[in-house]
Amino acid sequence: MTDARRSLGIAAAATLATLVVLAAAAPLIAAAMGHDITEADLLQRYEPPSLAHPLGTDELGRDVLLRLLYGGRISLTVGIVAAIMAASIGTVVGLLAGYFGGRLDTMLMRVTDGVIALPLLPLLIVLAAVDLGELGLPPAIAESERVSLYRIILITALVGWTTVARLVRGTTLSLKSRDFVRAAAALGAGHVRIMAVHILPNAASPIIVATTLAVGQIILFESVLSFLGLGIQPPLPSWGNMLTNAQEVIWEAPLLAFYPGVLILITVSACNLLGDAIQEWLDPRAVVRR
Amino acid sequence: MIRYLAERIVQGLVVVAIMSFVIYGLIGLMPGDPVDLMISANPQLTTEDAERLRRIHGLDRPIWERYAAWATSALQGDFGYSRTFARPVLEVLGPRLANTAALMLGAFAVALMIGLPAGIYAASRPGSIADTLVNLASFVSISVPTFWLALMMIILFAVTLGWLPASGLPTGPAGFWEHVRHLILPVATLAIVEAGAYVRYMRAAMIEALRHDYVRTARAKGASRTRTILGHALRNALVPVVTVMALSFGGLFSGALVTETMFAYPGMGKLIFDSIMGNDYNLALVALLFATILTLVGNLIADLAYVALDPRIGLGTGPGTERAR
Amino acid sequence: MATAFAMKPFVRTAALLLATVISFAAPAAQAKDELVIGVTQFPSSFHPGMDPLLAKSYVLAMTRRPFTAHDPDWNLVCLLCTELPTLENGHAKLTERPDGTRGIAVTYTIHPKAAWGDGTPVTSEDVVFTWEVGRHPETAIGAGAFFQRIEKIDVVDAKTFTLHFDRPAYDYNAINDLDLLPAHIERAAFADPASYRRRTAYDADTTNAGLYYGPYLITEVQPGSHIVLEPNPTWYGEKPHFRKITVRVIENSAALEANLLSGAIDYIPGELGLTLDQALALEKRHKDRFTFIYKPGLKYEHIPLNLEHPALADRRVRQALLHALDRDALTRRLFAGRQPVAHGFVSPLDPVAAPDLPTYAYDPKKAAALLDDAGWRMGKDGVRHNAAGERLSLELLTTIEDSTRRLVQQVLQSQWRKAGIEVRLRNEPARVLIGESMRRRQFTMAMYFSFSAPELSPRGFLHSSQIPTAANNFAGQNRSGLRNAEIDALIDRIEATLDPAARRDLWYRLQVLYAQKLPALPLYFRTDPYVIPKWLAGITPTGHQGPSTLWVERWHVLR
Repeated sequence: MTDARRSLGIAAAATLATLVVLAAAAPLIAAAMGHDITEADLLQRYEPPSLAHPLGTDELGRDVLLRLLYGGRISLTVGIVAAIMAASIGTVVGLLAGYFGGRLDTMLMRVTDGVIALPLLPLLIVLAAVDLGELGLPPAIAESERVSLYRIILITALVGWTTVARLVRGTTLSLKSRDFVRAAAALGAGHVRIMAVHILPNAASPIIVATTLAVGQIILFESVLSFLGLGIQPPLPSWGNMLTNAQEVIWEAPLLAFYPGVLILITVSACNLLGDAIQEWLDPRAVVRR
Repeated sequence: MIRYLAERIVQGLVVVAIMSFVIYGLIGLMPGDPVDLMISANPQLTTEDAERLRRIHGLDRPIWERYAAWATSALQGDFGYSRTFARPVLEVLGPRLANTAALMLGAFAVALMIGLPAGIYAASRPGSIADTLVNLASFVSISVPTFWLALMMIILFAVTLGWLPASGLPTGPAGFWEHVRHLILPVATLAIVEAGAYVRYMRAAMIEALRHDYVRTARAKGASRTRTILGHALRNALVPVVTVMALSFGGLFSGALVTETMFAYPGMGKLIFDSIMGNDYNLALVALLFATILTLVGNLIADLAYVALDPRIGLGTGPGTERAR
Repeated sequence: MATAFAMKPFVRTAALLLATVISFAAPAAQAKDELVIGVTQFPSSFHPGMDPLLAKSYVLAMTRRPFTAHDPDWNLVCLLCTELPTLENGHAKLTERPDGTRGIAVTYTIHPKAAWGDGTPVTSEDVVFTWEVGRHPETAIGAGAFFQRIEKIDVVDAKTFTLHFDRPAYDYNAINDLDLLPAHIERAAFADPASYRRRTAYDADTTNAGLYYGPYLITEVQPGSHIVLEPNPTWYGEKPHFRKITVRVIENSAALEANLLSGAIDYIPGELGLTLDQALALEKRHKDRFTFIYKPGLKYEHIPLNLEHPALADRRVRQALLHALDRDALTRRLFAGRQPVAHGFVSPLDPVAAPDLPTYAYDPKKAAALLDDAGWRMGKDGVRHNAAGERLSLELLTTIEDSTRRLVQQVLQSQWRKAGIEVRLRNEPARVLIGESMRRRQFTMAMYFSFSAPELSPRGFLHSSQIPTAANNFAGQNRSGLRNAEIDALIDRIEATLDPAARRDLWYRLQVLYAQKLPALPLYFRTDPYVIPKWLAGITPTGHQGPSTLWVERWHVLR
């Protein structure tokens, strides 16, 4: 790994960490600034930057800086949680398919094909209308405004696992014929143990890389959903819905579209750089993918 | 090999059959229907009118019954009528497919023409300023939200500079070049958001290929750098890239919803979106199944390449990672 | 001096370049006999009677004319007929039906020169055919109930016919929904009524001139992209000015605005155009290029309340909800005062609008008093609680498609919070909101508009027989669940009262009751912004469901 790439990786990790910390600290910063981000102030729409509002105010007179930070909380949560959930599903499917092979493999891989081809839109609308309270979720969750957040995480995880599944299956296929796995089997290790102890750690590298990249992709995906109106719903801000709302006022307040756009850009780029760096660090011989 | 192919084709047919039901069911599960929206467009309509329309459009019959009816006639080659357009499904799909092909293949070609050379060039000089710039550009390409880029392109090239039409198809009898002129902005937008990924694939595969001993040998024997890259490494490096291309092939024909919406371009993406939203079962189903079949074909080609080549080269980035365009 | 001289060639080249760029940029600017209209919706089907869609009525109004329509001043006028039949002029007569009840016979005469685009005259035969199609239960004609009410048609001669209605209704002479079909073309397709929908020439052969009799014919259709219209040689009215009208569809309103600025489209109509806040922002920057007309109309933006909700069942809570809202500030700040605050469901432009109604001004103290009175006391967490310790927590539902509503929704939430009312926001696609949540009354509060027509009977959404329930298969639009015997009686009487003055009094009483009972929170009447280039004149927005294109032949270029 070259020094330049290492420092790029470190810079990317530091950027992401900063964003996460800032987003996590959003309520503290809001308290320090004395603003409430859900409070609409119609007398202060589109204010230019000032001491009270370092990045100005938005179409409802709310502080843009705080909205960006709160939006970061949502966007990063969606990205990270959904990516981890998708990776978990994908890992299990990929391990089972690759390790047991045969019919199970065929079936799981065709399910994967099906999921890849699955139309997301009706799925989203169906899920958007399902009353979560009727599914047995506590009212605190089912009735909260965060419902749109949970739904998007769930959907993304449900359809986003295919990449990891394919990767893990491939790795498992090549690992299971290796000597150390055969040796473990000969010594009487059970299937679960072999998968967990011998195969999984060796498949970690592609999983981690794919997950890192997925974080960025999911944040972008949420912005597309917001564009279609199916993303995170108000009053929760997300970078995606801030960007969508800004497009209609792009002439009047171009910066409203600029800030969330740049934050998405930075986050996705950082995720990609970090993915590269992790890949090289874990497996210096391997290819840098995407 | 033939057995493998036959098996895959049979499996593929099973997947298509299951998918057809899953898609039909999903659309059927979607709450609400368009009849109530009709009433809000014409205040004079009464509730009795709504009930009658629901019955005529078959929206009151159980989903499995409607599916069975559709599947029976579909097997006989009759895919039914589009509910919204009141025309045979294939007649509606035809022109949209042609539009989509022009847009997507154009963008695909441009993305490759930018992505592959840039990736190769960057890989040949890892760590150089050129490499860094190419990498940066590819990150921007990967991370820019499509609708945002589309709007910027329209504002810059159509509004501010006034060089290109801001949207869609030309009206009236327009020549080939007029069509091309209208296609420039949407194709460029799509190509920009896609090129980045190809840069990354190509660059990675090339760096890997350049590490191989035979390349080093060739280099030691005095072959020029360009010759080494183009003559020896490229052939190997193209393998994973071609696989990725095969995987994204199926996705091409489901269109690019966001780009089509922004440029008011009537393609498959918009058609599928509208037909789902409008409970136009027949149209949505046929369009989605078509996309499914192409995805399966793409995956099959990718798997064939996978089987044929060194599995260590790595693959598995399927269209699932493809961003929504 | 010498320098100035030397600069000249450069200046000339620059000017030339600039001119080239500009002419390239706005090709439409030179050809003033063509007009490009940009709208946000594409009409999927072109059959005048099926699948009503705003985009369809907008386009078709250029190619065909209803018998009667409301003009921009909201008076009922004849467009295809020669004289509006009334009881006074004797063309409408009360009749006795075989069962002894009263009916009404109304006689119309078709414009003598009216002819389909292929030269075939428009005749009474077309009227009879249209009626046959419309009343047939197997055809998917939208306004079936209207055709059912016509019991019989007497053909007096080729241009004159008499409709026999089964009851003398207040709107007896308004036959806006009799969308005439060409018998000479459509009869073949109607041979099998069940498959008529698939065989109608309107969709199979949309550019057939014989389907239209208005000032324009549809000459090119590119689904999802554009429609081209050209003058109809057989048109019986004033000659239209534009040689070619193109209707371009750009669904994304930001892209639509950019297209307007780039010169790709000339004009954005209010019916299907920009959002109000977008138009207001555009006006600030481009006052010199465009004329802006803001037309408030019949789109009543309101928040129906589910009266079965325990908190909302209490009228004091409903009143408090309205007193806690500063609707004036909302429309002033967000909509530059262009969207008038509503005090009832009848547009102030409607002739039957009541002059003064009980109003609910912004009054936080009164809201607090009403809530205290209703047993909702302010808690330490800033939310009101009742004696049982329940929070005053409501849910506000609206559509995802409308960006303006998303803004308003957050303002309302913020204003109600100050009054101690916690409001959770939930958004759904319009088809889910209207077709499921509202239909099955699974909502607490919902924000959307209902579209009305001048003097349209409010039976559908106020009469107690129209409350959707599982028993009636969720028919009806009285989603609040309002049950009031006096309102029911008033609606029945309004529909049967033929004397306009007497009817107006009933309407006034009805509106007062509505404002008192408050089954919904009135917000405002939506305003459609028309963005018209300075060189274009003659466009008169109507504010009701009749599109401005019904008078397209008056549109012209300013000299």
